[in-house]
Amino acid sequence: MSFVSYALILAGGLGSRLCILSEKRAKPAVPFGGKYRIIDFSLSNCVNSGIFDVGILTQYRPLSLRDHIGIGRAWDLDRKRGGVELLQPYKGWAETDWYRGTADAVYQNWSRVEEREAEHVLVLSGDHVYRMDYRPLIEAHLARGADATVAITEIPREEARGFGVVDTDADGWIRGFLEKPQNPPSGRVSMGVYVFRASALYPALRADAERETPHDFGKNILPSLVRAGKVLAYRHPGYWQDIGTLDSYYRANLDLVRSDPPFPLDDPRWPIFTPSTEFPPARFGLRASVHSSIITHGSIVNGTVERSVLFPGTVVEEGATVRDSIVMGESWVGPGAVVDCAILDKRVHVGPRCRVGEGDDRTPNRSCPEHLSSGITIVGKETRVPEGTVIGRNVRISANLIEEDFPRERIASGYVLERETTAAR
Amino acid sequence: MTQPPVLALVLAGGKSEALHALGRVRTASALPYGGKYRVIDFTLSNCVHSGIYRVNILTQYAPHSLQGHIGIGRPWDLDRREGGIRLLQPYVRQTETNWYRGTADALLQNRNVIADAQARHLLVLSGDLVYKMDYGELIRSHEERDASLTIATTHPPTDHPERYGYVDARQDGRVLGLDEKPARVRGGVVSAGIYVFRARELMARLADPSLGPDLVRDVILPMIREGAHVYAHPLRGYWRDVGTIDSYYESTMDLVRPVPPFNLYDPDWLIYTPSEDRAPAVVGEHARVHQSLVGHGTRVEGDVRRSVLFPGVVVERGARVTDSIVMHDARVASGARLDRAIVDKRVIVGREAVVGALDGVPNAEFPRDLHTGICVVGKGSCVPERARLGANTLIDIGVGADDYPSLEIPAGAVIRPLNRIPA
Repeated sequence: MSFVSYALILAGGLGSRLCILSEKRAKPAVPFGGKYRIIDFSLSNCVNSGIFDVGILTQYRPLSLRDHIGIGRAWDLDRKRGGVELLQPYKGWAETDWYRGTADAVYQNWSRVEEREAEHVLVLSGDHVYRMDYRPLIEAHLARGADATVAITEIPREEARGFGVVDTDADGWIRGFLEKPQNPPSGRVSMGVYVFRASALYPALRADAERETPHDFGKNILPSLVRAGKVLAYRHPGYWQDIGTLDSYYRANLDLVRSDPPFPLDDPRWPIFTPSTEFPPARFGLRASVHSSIITHGSIVNGTVERSVLFPGTVVEEGATVRDSIVMGESWVGPGAVVDCAILDKRVHVGPRCRVGEGDDRTPNRSCPEHLSSGITIVGKETRVPEGTVIGRNVRISANLIEEDFPRERIASGYVLERETTAAR
Repeated sequence: MTQPPVLALVLAGGKSEALHALGRVRTASALPYGGKYRVIDFTLSNCVHSGIYRVNILTQYAPHSLQGHIGIGRPWDLDRREGGIRLLQPYVRQTETNWYRGTADALLQNRNVIADAQARHLLVLSGDLVYKMDYGELIRSHEERDASLTIATTHPPTDHPERYGYVDARQDGRVLGLDEKPARVRGGVVSAGIYVFRARELMARLADPSLGPDLVRDVILPMIREGAHVYAHPLRGYWRDVGTIDSYYESTMDLVRPVPPFNLYDPDWLIYTPSEDRAPAVVGEHARVHQSLVGHGTRVEGDVRRSVLFPGVVVERGARVTDSIVMHDARVASGARLDRAIVDKRVIVGREAVVGALDGVPNAEFPRDLHTGICVVGKGSCVPERARLGANTLIDIGVGADDYPSLEIPAGAVIRPLNRIPA
């Protein structure tokens, strides 16, 4: 009898479209939903599906991910047999390269699959928000004798441009695979959740490794397997959100505070595990006014919070307003300040009477208009915004800036504030 | 070496009659507190912050919730090869098998375990107190004075001053007398229930076959009388014994005051506890939350004022929770009102039900413990739809809708399950 008990999570990507959120951390380590990091969803899906042997392939800025995962306690993955392991690029006798792509990362760590004598392996992405029991997927894969099975979800056709679109026949076998097509034929897209038969995957990886390709599962491996044989589509109903862009990140967070959230975080049958930070419960002060928001422990709210997500240890002082925003851990919003349609990274300090995200001017961001044009202003980790600063929309403010780095005048919409721009001024 | 070898012994086995339904299912040390903790977390966190990593907890009464809570001691970093945490429950032996007959007897029955630790000092603590204290200072003062026993002292809270033991001490700290639960209350400092004994001396006293079972009456008072080196050491800051409904309630309400006298948010002295795997709190569109502590996994759609909500509590739209404590996974249905209520775990308060604050007749059966207007609803009970419960009512554990004689429950009533097997 064959079964699937080993999962590899791809968590090495750059995530450049997430702007400065992923400047200092890998995309799967980006904070999400008040207390989680994005990878928690894939990891929790694994353990809730009974898979307790997980390798995480990391490359880009793995430190925060490594600290988050630790020895895997939060997921019950601190085990003698199995458990969780971070697979960072390494120097060996012969192979001494950085991972050239997702497929190459798995290829370079193939010994991990081999030593388990795994006949099948689950390959997941670490940057999606969803709940999924992988067992029915695996059952379908085994029952149909597929070489690979791809979980697919249905999204609006016009949004399918950024994904891998799947074309299937009547029996569910995949006939074609279009990665990020200009004109998507349907909204049936790959979720980045795959089961592979090891004996089919390895030759494909090896062949790909010897060619000049992006070494990508979606672009290279799956199309080659589709050509060669039996790749099954498995339709997964339910919420699935790729956190690829700042807009999708923002939307997925704010979806959580809708009165009918499409993705409730608190499902006791399928808990999302994460290491809890040591904080007391959230405290609401005398003048607190909070609506439609997620408030995490350690937060102290004395001001107004509307349609926002506050991470642990956030302080909103009296007379301050946080609206339609995401405020990450241990940030401070000073008295009388307004934060509107903004993402504040960890430990951002917003001085008294600041206005972050102000006005009707929606000039897209100068340096990345393609990712920062919907009105979101973003402030990087640990930056201190001086008292009374007014900041427009679509503004990007780098991490670790101090009061002296800020101009005295209003920061106009679309502006980029970095230490270099200040120095040049 | 910075600190002499110390073994902490936490007394957590007592049955707290005065807590009624809250204390029936658990010992006072395991009482949920502050929206996320159990009372014993304060003592355990004090231990580890003070660098004491050898902790034995003496349990006897209803130890299961404590056992589940403490586990192997991970949240406190007490899962260790050397030392760490251990629960000492009474056990059967070849001769003289007995339950712990008192605090001194509990120590006596564990004398081998205590002796094996080869500690120079024994730090004897109570698990049912809320306070922060660096025991290192206490132990240093104990060493410097070469004391046989050092008693931490504190100023008594204003409620129930007769519950405490008043310490008579000289200017230099030497204790001349200890007046336990005096008939006539007087001023001065009281024993905080925190003791450091020179291990050899305590063990010698415990070995006396004529010894009585109580640590204060049969060990500490005789030590003072006989002129042993007993000193007082002041504990500054907040200290509360939560062994009664009133003191538990008032101490919890202290946390939601505009400037709380006890800071849970001190980053240098965090209170550790096992965090539950729950989502963050969700505050809904129509919610109003003021002056409250809200644990994770809660969902608030209604009005919450000056209250503490534990993990998983649901307050539906149109419900109003005021001056109340609502424990894990309780649900307050739409239109219901809680006023000065303590609602234990998994209680369901039905729609349009009203609990508390109608008038103020003391409880008929327990006038001493329930007379300040607090209602207590025991674990797993329900308050039926549209029921009205007066102040000072006590709803026992596991009371169902059928157990209510009517929907109008006068103040001071006690409701128990009808089909309960008499104790």
